[in-house]
Amino acid sequence: MRLRAAGRTDVGRVRALNEDVFSLHTRDGLFVVCDGMGGCPAGEVASQIAADAIVGALTSRTPVTDSRRVEDRGYLAQTVRLAEAVRHSNQIVFSRAQEDPSRAGMGTTVVGAWINGHVASIAHVGDSRAYLWHGDTLDRLTCDHALVEQQNVLLRALGREPDVDVELTEVLMQRGDCLLLCSDGLTRAVPDRALSQAFGDIRDPQRVCDYLVDAANRSGGPDNITVVVVELAAGWARRMATVFDAIRWRRTRWRS
Amino acid sequence: MAKLILLLDDRVVNEFPVDAPVTIGRQSDNAVVIDNAAVSSHHACVYRDDDHFVVEDLQSTNGTFVNGTRISRRNLRPGDMLVVGNHTLLLDGKATVPPPAASPAEVRSPGAGETIFVDKRTMLERLAMNSDAHRKHQALLATLQDVEAHAKSAKGEISGPLGVLRVLNGHADKAEYSLEGHTSVIGKAKTSLVRLEGWFKPTMAVAITRNTQGYVATSLGGTTLINDQPISGRHELKDGDVLEVSGLKLAFSVKQ
Repeated sequence: MRLRAAGRTDVGRVRALNEDVFSLHTRDGLFVVCDGMGGCPAGEVASQIAADAIVGALTSRTPVTDSRRVEDRGYLAQTVRLAEAVRHSNQIVFSRAQEDPSRAGMGTTVVGAWINGHVASIAHVGDSRAYLWHGDTLDRLTCDHALVEQQNVLLRALGREPDVDVELTEVLMQRGDCLLLCSDGLTRAVPDRALSQAFGDIRDPQRVCDYLVDAANRSGGPDNITVVVVELAAGWARRMATVFDAIRWRRTRWRS
Repeated sequence: MAKLILLLDDRVVNEFPVDAPVTIGRQSDNAVVIDNAAVSSHHACVYRDDDHFVVEDLQSTNGTFVNGTRISRRNLRPGDMLVVGNHTLLLDGKATVPPPAASPAEVRSPGAGETIFVDKRTMLERLAMNSDAHRKHQALLATLQDVEAHAKSAKGEISGPLGVLRVLNGHADKAEYSLEGHTSVIGKAKTSLVRLEGWFKPTMAVAITRNTQGYVATSLGGTTLINDQPISGRHELKDGDVLEVSGLKLAFSVKQ
């Protein structure tokens, strides 16, 4: 299965430091976005450690300790592995924060997607989100672990406690579908409707990322912005149709 | 860093760091602006005095209340509830007075919006210390639990009737498959529930996802017929539907 992926992160217009981190492993179908908690010490350290730990756990051959939990029941094996990797990263961030007083209390959100064939396993903690572009609609796949969606009060975060509840989602991707992973710097600044429109107008993952980061900055860039877009590449027939559509659209615009 | 959490009707509206004196009032030059007729233009002020926090009423018309008593000046302890008009301000109980030297957090991102993490257990313990405000806190906690319950329900211990695929025709390793998981795949893939065998069989032909409303079949590769009609996108399965996938004929039924 061919994946096309792109990502971009930007400090925004207000913050001095970018505490967001993203990681693309297109060959393994693994994509992670972490948003370090601002205002706490070492937010950017927490997000980097978490992203590295998740990627490390899933790309290395040594399997993560696989303790089958009740809350993982009903999910596919790869989804459970992703959940284990996120819990493992929580332990690492937590223990690093315990060891180093300058990093005490550091924390991060995470949204990770692991695509195997047509099945995307998604795990998240905090208010970073995942969306699926399918047909011509953008569906939100995750539910923020935040008190009121507009406010920066997280109910769950990685690294703050020895154990963490990871929310899991499985979603099917057909050819041409896109997965969007992003930090709250995007979703607070750009409404869902505008996100959806970006996917409708632009299909190339890198250009969607660039467009969305610019859009968030145009509306103030209040926070760090991170966007990852993954497309399950369409077969040649679908791609040709898209090209023809684009040409037709340009022509009609030319004429009017 | 100490914070004042502004609540209205037990919902978190905003939160403010108390590193500099925080003024509360109706006029826009206050740090905490509450646009309400019951609030005076400069109503109250919270500031740090050496190793503790102090709230002072600025001769407001309707008064400032701490844990139910009207005050003019009073020392605040973590977890104290400050009532101004219809709004409540909660002094974050985790607040410890930072040492005189600037903490790393202040050096790194001064004034930037922060993310806070609410740990429910410690919050409960902290809040329970204060019996006056206990009832109010209970209400806040109920809100927190509500949000968590909502997050949990999305993740779903899936309930609802169980779907079953019965083999009508063709070669399969079982006569009946119950669709217990979130995602059930029919194909050659190792994680498939219904394993197809043969050189030209698709890795993933169809996947059936389960949600609270029921079951949805998504065609992923090859030709799939439902009730003799080819499907290309998603199809909501109804009791009695017949699926045909790569020479395998399956009847979908729902167990009540």
